[in-house]
Amino acid sequence: MGSFFRQAVCLAALALLPAAGEAIYFRERVSWRQPAPSDEVNLAQADGFAAQVMWIDARPREQFEAKHVPGAFLLNAGEWDELLPAMLNAWTPDRKLVVYCSAQSCDASKEVARRLKEEAGLKNVYVLTGGWEAWQSGHYAH
Amino acid sequence: MRIKFLLRVVLGAIFIYAGILKIVSPLRFVTDISNYHLLPWFATVALAFYLPWLEVIAGLALLWTRVSRGALLLLSFLTCVFIVASAGAKARGLDVTCGCFGHASKDWSFGRHLLLDFAMLGALIFCALPAKEIHPARI
Repeated sequence: MGSFFRQAVCLAALALLPAAGEAIYFRERVSWRQPAPSDEVNLAQADGFAAQVMWIDARPREQFEAKHVPGAFLLNAGEWDELLPAMLNAWTPDRKLVVYCSAQSCDASKEVARRLKEEAGLKNVYVLTGGWEAWQSGHYAH
Repeated sequence: MRIKFLLRVVLGAIFIYAGILKIVSPLRFVTDISNYHLLPWFATVALAFYLPWLEVIAGLALLWTRVSRGALLLLSFLTCVFIVASAGAKARGLDVTCGCFGHASKDWSFGRHLLLDFAMLGALIFCALPAKEIHPARI
């Protein structure tokens, strides 16, 4: 058992080398400091954006197809490359993007919001607090 | 013996595949780990760089009989940690992506993840069991 443990420790130590190399390679792209929390808006604030709002549904496709905020664009991490162009075609600089996922406990909306800001370079990106559950409780779902 | 070796090859391939998926997109894996809300940010980023390489190296070591027991021990430990973390996240009502196979497994259900994890843990333990000695039949 002792030799197995030593082997495991050696393997674990060996993995540190390429991991450190990769961390150095990505040093400009990953922050080691806690990022600022994403801009969150509640339903009332999102409704306050009125015609400027552009809803982004970060849930899986089947949930989007079952029900979604009217006019929302589907944009989830799993189909990012396929769905992003259509969303960008509809986007204009004056729009305020409000991203939602299923509920308060999900994180897909935060990830999509982060990528919209960091990868697509968009501004005015917000996350809907409470997600789809909050929207449903405040509106009639279509 | 041959079955155990074949099983080690399959397990090694799975861990290497899972590791490479995460190595090529560390930013996504950072998000996946942070969704568990278990670790401070610094540790989350460090793990996002470290764990995929650990999977690849331990996966490769599974193919080398001399160090395969150490790799089995390491990967069994990792799988147990992941099962506990996933169950903990589920118990806290978090809707997390495990990140085990990058975003290829993003839409897998919790049950499917857990089933795969327990199957892999069982296979790892089976491979770690000492081989039975075969005594020549008495005439």
